[in-house]
Amino acid sequence: MGPTQRDALSKIACNRLQKELVEWQVNPPSGFKHKVTDNLQRWVIEVNGAPGTLYAGETYQLQVDFPEHYPMEAPQVIFVPPAPLHPHIYSNGHICLDILYDSWSPAMTVSSICISILSMLSSSPVKQRPADNDRYVKNCKNGRSPKETRWWFHDDKV
Amino acid sequence: MDSEDDMHDANDAESMDDDYYSGDTAVEYSEDDDDGDDDGDYEFDNDSVDSDDVSTSRRQQKNYIALKEADIRQHQENEITTISTVLSISRVDASILLRHYHWSVSNVHEVWFADEDRVRKAVGLLERPVVRFPNAKELTCGICFESFPLDRISSAACGHPFCNLCWRAYMSTSIDGGPGCLMLRCPDPSCGAAIGQDMINLLVSEEDKEKYARYLLRSYIEDNRKTKWCPAPGCEYAVEFVVGSENYDVSCLCSYGFCWNCTEEAHRPVDCGTVAKWIMKNSAESENMNWILANSKPCPKCKRPIEKNQGCMHMTCTPPCKFEFCWLCLGAWSDHGERTGGFYACNRYEAAKQEGAYDETERRREMAKNSLERYTHYYERWATNQSSRQKALADLHQMQTVNLEKLSDKQSQPESQLKFITEAWLQIVECRRVLKWTYAYGYYLPEPEQAKRQFFEYLQGEAEAGLERLHQCAEKDVQAYLGAEPPPTDFNDFRTKLAGLTSVTRNYFENLVRALENGLSDVDSQGASSKTATAKSVAAFGKGKSGRGKSSRAGGPSKNSDDHGFWTCDQCTYFNTRSLPTCEMCHQPRRNA
Repeated sequence: MGPTQRDALSKIACNRLQKELVEWQVNPPSGFKHKVTDNLQRWVIEVNGAPGTLYAGETYQLQVDFPEHYPMEAPQVIFVPPAPLHPHIYSNGHICLDILYDSWSPAMTVSSICISILSMLSSSPVKQRPADNDRYVKNCKNGRSPKETRWWFHDDKV
Repeated sequence: MDSEDDMHDANDAESMDDDYYSGDTAVEYSEDDDDGDDDGDYEFDNDSVDSDDVSTSRRQQKNYIALKEADIRQHQENEITTISTVLSISRVDASILLRHYHWSVSNVHEVWFADEDRVRKAVGLLERPVVRFPNAKELTCGICFESFPLDRISSAACGHPFCNLCWRAYMSTSIDGGPGCLMLRCPDPSCGAAIGQDMINLLVSEEDKEKYARYLLRSYIEDNRKTKWCPAPGCEYAVEFVVGSENYDVSCLCSYGFCWNCTEEAHRPVDCGTVAKWIMKNSAESENMNWILANSKPCPKCKRPIEKNQGCMHMTCTPPCKFEFCWLCLGAWSDHGERTGGFYACNRYEAAKQEGAYDETERRREMAKNSLERYTHYYERWATNQSSRQKALADLHQMQTVNLEKLSDKQSQPESQLKFITEAWLQIVECRRVLKWTYAYGYYLPEPEQAKRQFFEYLQGEAEAGLERLHQCAEKDVQAYLGAEPPPTDFNDFRTKLAGLTSVTRNYFENLVRALENGLSDVDSQGASSKTATAKSVAAFGKGKSGRGKSSRAGGPSKNSDDHGFWTCDQCTYFNTRSLPTCEMCHQPRRNA
């Protein structure tokens, strides 16, 4: 489901995103850069690997799509391929992180998601794909959203 | 049924003598109440008002309670009150706590008094706020980031402020998502404060309040180890079970009986494993069965197709043929029951095979495979009793809604005096269920245990014959009293007969169930002398406490005849009258005479 087929943002979602954007501009999370577009419903954010970690010096792009009823519903967050090599990040950019799905709370923000993702990257001791990467990516072929996946959050160490 | 003239008064158990099951076969069913033989297992008497009666007291010892919605609410409220009082916490907190620990009061007590702090943390019951804004006039909502005056801001026990609109959206999203809303926590990611029903009720729409309350009520049944919903379609009652009880069969207020353990329909005397196997088997074989078990059979005499539209197995072809036959074996009905000195034997697979009944029709000849044939035998009887039971349920309904009133009118009897008819139908429904499952039991009875099988088939045959008498009486005899013509006998005779048959059949089936649940252990326990043991079981099964049963036991295990006018066939264990030189069942000559 691409963002073009998505329902337009509700008024509440627009207001909230505008506030988030303002806050971001005043106080951006370190290591992230919002690439300005005129599309409030899709944010593209540049991520810089934190110094002293396996991803130091590397740059990736996150794509954040907001649903009509954001923030009651979680945004869809993926890496634009090429995605970083990480045990919880699939080669199609899908991220296995509980706060993006079951554990989402409307009190979270794009900024707090970014910090969580960077923390997840930084704590990885090894650069590799998830064990089931090929199978998962194949199953996602017809443009399936990661939000339709039933994630199994089995590893809280990385 | 020739013996109805012998009946006197159904209320007097002593008079309920003989003949219901045995006709003029050997086993008599006397009503002797002298308690000489304490052999236990199969003993019973027919006087169900006798409070010492083993079967009666077992019937009354219910190990479950059926709950209506009001009862469920009441139970839930009571437990919340208990926890709230004992732990000195609010009712809402008690409710959250109980739900977290699957509505087990004892479990809550245990964990709470072991480590209250840990429990409070796990469940999200905070004693004091984690954030305070003592002097604020306005607060920023943690979701929409707008500022609001305090009266438009709400917080859980933790104090994290969110505006009422965001709360409402947060809660309604969660309630839309299902029963998970019962575990709702404060939206702040770092906070685990539980959200209770009080707060929900303050902030959401009427519709959502109701949904939440429904989930909370459902949770009491679904998250609880000792309760389950009645699985009958459309039934809204639940059943609370005394965990650890042996008998899993429960009966809901909607009259649906089910097994508490596996939630399949009630299946005593067969165990859950066998039922699961049988149901699997049926679904696997159903394709084969469909063509075999068409809904009609040709009349064995005139060959016109006949659809079975009544519950009992006694079929009468339409005029001019009027041939009376048995639906199960397609044999003449005159060969069934006591009238001819015959024996109800169409439950026996072996008998049917030996007599070549299976070779008679084209269809059966095509069924070359013995295993399928064997399965068919049992399945057909299982399924027929099933549909017979459905028909009986419909007839019971018809009786209660239409015919009782008609009968009351015609016979000038108050409806309260016609309860015996309803009871008869309830008994038929129950017996058809038991009988049905005895066919699954028979199918899985180990082949090598011949003595057991023969005993089983004897008991099943008697049960079937007895039930047929009851079913026929309730279904057909009653018609005479509903029609325009004057009835052949006095209505009181009908009452006596039907009530008597109901009582005898109930007792017989209760014993049958117990015997099968015991794995026919009487046959086992006697080892080599199993045949005599079987004979004794039969005697005990019949009426148990008579002097006959006593002497039979005293006679010692090596005797296969006794001085009370009976002898036991060596071959098939059948209980024959002394005058017969060969076994009535298998024609084996009598030995040790």
